[in-house]
Amino acid sequence: MDFKSLLLNKEFVMLDGAMGTMLQKAGLPLGEMPEILCVTHNEQIADIHKQYIEAGADIIYTNTFGANSYKLKNSGYTAENIIPQAVKAAKKAAENTDTLIALDIGPVGQLLEPTGSLSFEEAYNIFKEQIIAGKDADLIVFETMTDLLEIKAGVLAAKENSDKPIICTMTFEANKRTFTGVCISSMVITLSGLGVDAIGVNCSLGPEELLPIVKEMSHWTDLPLVVKPNAGLPDPNSNTYDVSPKDFTQSVLKMLDFGVKVTGGCCGTTPEYIKELSSALKTEKFRKKENQKKSVVCSSSTTVLIDQPRIIGERINPTGKRLFKEALKNNDMNFILNQAVSQVQGGADILDVNVGLPEIDEKAMMVRTVKALQSVIDVPLQIDSTKPDVVEAGLRVYNGKAIINSVNGEEKSLKSILPLAKKYGASVVGLALDENGIPKTAQGRFDIAKKIVERAEQYGIGKENIFIDCLTLTASAEQEGVMQTLEALHRVKTELGCRTVLGVSNISFGLPNRELVNSTFLTMALQEGLDLPIINPNVESMTGAVRAYKVLADIDKNSRSFIENYNEFTPQKTTDNTSKHDLNYAVMNGLKDEGAKATEELLKNTDAMEIINNKLIPALDKVGEDFEKGKIFLPQLIQSANTAQACFDVIKKKLTAENNIAVSKGKIILATVKGDIHDIGKNIVKVLLDNYGYTVVDLGRDVDPQLIVDTAIKQDIKMIGLSALMTTTLKSMEDTITLVRNTKELQNPDGSSKCIIFVGGAVLTEDYAMKIGADYYCKDAKESVDTAKKVLG
Amino acid sequence: MIELSSLNRQECIRYLGNANVEMNSKMEELLDICEQEILKNAEPKFLYKEVPVNNAELLEGNDIKNHLQGCQNAVIMCATLGNGIDNLIRKTQLLDMAKAVVLDSFASVAIEQACCCVDEIIAKKYKGKYLTFRFSPGYGDYPITLQKQFLNILDAPRKIGLCTNDNFLLTPTKSVTAVVGVSDNEIEQRKRGCAVCSLKGSCRYRKAGSHCGF
Repeated sequence: MDFKSLLLNKEFVMLDGAMGTMLQKAGLPLGEMPEILCVTHNEQIADIHKQYIEAGADIIYTNTFGANSYKLKNSGYTAENIIPQAVKAAKKAAENTDTLIALDIGPVGQLLEPTGSLSFEEAYNIFKEQIIAGKDADLIVFETMTDLLEIKAGVLAAKENSDKPIICTMTFEANKRTFTGVCISSMVITLSGLGVDAIGVNCSLGPEELLPIVKEMSHWTDLPLVVKPNAGLPDPNSNTYDVSPKDFTQSVLKMLDFGVKVTGGCCGTTPEYIKELSSALKTEKFRKKENQKKSVVCSSSTTVLIDQPRIIGERINPTGKRLFKEALKNNDMNFILNQAVSQVQGGADILDVNVGLPEIDEKAMMVRTVKALQSVIDVPLQIDSTKPDVVEAGLRVYNGKAIINSVNGEEKSLKSILPLAKKYGASVVGLALDENGIPKTAQGRFDIAKKIVERAEQYGIGKENIFIDCLTLTASAEQEGVMQTLEALHRVKTELGCRTVLGVSNISFGLPNRELVNSTFLTMALQEGLDLPIINPNVESMTGAVRAYKVLADIDKNSRSFIENYNEFTPQKTTDNTSKHDLNYAVMNGLKDEGAKATEELLKNTDAMEIINNKLIPALDKVGEDFEKGKIFLPQLIQSANTAQACFDVIKKKLTAENNIAVSKGKIILATVKGDIHDIGKNIVKVLLDNYGYTVVDLGRDVDPQLIVDTAIKQDIKMIGLSALMTTTLKSMEDTITLVRNTKELQNPDGSSKCIIFVGGAVLTEDYAMKIGADYYCKDAKESVDTAKKVLG
Repeated sequence: MIELSSLNRQECIRYLGNANVEMNSKMEELLDICEQEILKNAEPKFLYKEVPVNNAELLEGNDIKNHLQGCQNAVIMCATLGNGIDNLIRKTQLLDMAKAVVLDSFASVAIEQACCCVDEIIAKKYKGKYLTFRFSPGYGDYPITLQKQFLNILDAPRKIGLCTNDNFLLTPTKSVTAVVGVSDNEIEQRKRGCAVCSLKGSCRYRKAGSHCGF
């Protein structure tokens, strides 16, 4: 019998109990890696499995929880020689029974980016090795996971390297989140979307405490639910558990109401627990729960139910934006992240991500951008590209359930995009157009929408995951088309039962007072049933229209959210654009807005460079001096520097408008060296250098020396700043310097180095810096600026 | 369970690099906000376990041997503020670097305070015995690479989500591992100080002619 028929034929499926507890009881030598016992004590492992089978387990987990190449490094063993032995022990125990063998896979043991330094791709490869080594098992189990992206890497590795059924269980704290902040709904939605066979919770807490967690899980999926609790809470010191087999069983029985189908025990449980539980279940009936299909997307920590209008922020898109294009070309991730954060602050529920530009590697950029975005914002993402391989690359590393933007009625598009939506469990925007273009009539667009929904269904994608875009045309060019769009939208919503999405701002192209036209059209569309307006959430009239609509349509009950957003709102008066203080005062006191205003005023009758050289820089220098003398704090220095930045921005804007060359005093690469993840010091240096007018190419943390060399060559950069916090990573700093020095392209004809390297970090000293070949040692951010002045002027 | 209800402001100011700065109200306000945010986002967790004092694995280098001299037992411990603090500091760096710096300093204060709570818990457990101060991998010649072994022995990745990366740095970053010696007899009051410090007098406090307080 296989797992699927087990689910069909049995009222309940029994798993086994703890392995570790049994190893201890059997008096086996407990080293760091109990998995090694599969090789050294195969018989005894088989015996433990056997006890669980006799107690009633239908499925036993192999003793391979930590048998991965990361944990086994330096153990003298590999996944390839432990896992087959583990499967062998399980098979031996299961001989002459129907018991299934589950290949057990736990977390890698190292945190993934952004908190840790393990990449998604590395995690995938580690899991892949385990899955291939365990090819003789009947199914694959991922358990005790706390990071949704890590388990996603595992599930993809399993799906792409085997055809076995998959069970996924994660570990939650009493606050209903995992250590990394994953919430229950996001876990269930994302993993259901990836097409696993059963889902649930293990370890964590005792059975009683798991009840609310299982209850919430059942709300989000129709998949069989799995519960494998600990035998109560462990005593932090003695490591013993406090719930008896009887009480354990009683608590698990309470969870059956939520549709639990598969159950067993985790830490502290023994064959006794499994026996008690399996005999109690003999008189129980499985209670299937069926949920209404939901249109929902999520990040790992935030779930957005599309049961009311939700705003998709449109600003991460280079189309028609010069600064954005520049940022993409320069790999300036901070620019993009700032756009993201300000949209979320403006009220975006979801962010569209488009990084398509002919002259860059869009696929690599999409991966970098998705990874960077999910490290700082919590809202779900919409992956936007015309290229299927870019869409796939983005979906792959996305930590949650994304939206694809987009598929259309064209055969080629349907065939390439819908399988991706299915594989990665994403929702998809369906554009109501095809090879013949955009139909003029509502009927024509409705027909294409219908076709998309039908084709998606053939791929196993429900209509709750199709968001139809009936396409906004420009009112000034095709005035009669506006009502066609709205009619099509209304019909898609009511007749097809799909959610609708619409980019709004196109409507006003070529008209004056575009904002007025946009917000009016938005309100009309909402009334026709628009669920997902794609807008600039930082335009108050647009976000405001959505919020006001939700009040009037009786969605925002008691206007709670509206009042929360506008309680302190006073209609804008003509703003007073004059500054109360001069530039010097503003910079010295870290008053950003004041500084910007003062700069604007000065620009009216003062040359830009004169402001920079005679006002801004001297003010900054004074602040720096005060910092050195211990008169002010580091945060104050940064606030002043940020004020100077705001002033620079005003000047830059003016110069860009006048098409003058950008004000830059030269380019500097900054990086925290390979292996080091403490980058706050480097980031402080970046802020100060930025504010003194240098262009910083920030390569981030844990940076490969080769990337630094490549960037220096490609962008012709002569100055490089490196940081390392720990003694263990100083070696990386030395390696990086050596590589820079030894790279031909970065040498002068006489063999001397073209690059000036400055270094800093808590454990560094001047002597050591010189010893490893740096040109300058900077004790703090201020000294980095002084060094830049010396080198670049 | 460790509950932190307030954080030591003077310590935070010291981490920020200046002890004698005249505070203005804007800075006071920033410190208030940051203290609250750290308290709100910190989820201190800890583990500890007694190990034989002659455990060869733990006795690398001379400093630890000196430290544990006269002790019959050793307790290894770890503590973390959790992932939320790393997230908070990472996000804040994007929006307001000045605030991020203050948050970072308060987080360092918070993990030290959390460790002191663990000290008290251990002291309570070994009532009547004498304890050394916390000695961490990275002090003196005690290799930082041991952090990984400590976490394995404590099962910290699974139990509290505390791991190391390939370079033996702790993740989440605001975390600590350490050894405390336990003795039946009074131990000579060894002090944490420059002698066992990995920076050995090259730190910014020493450079400025003062020291860090230990």
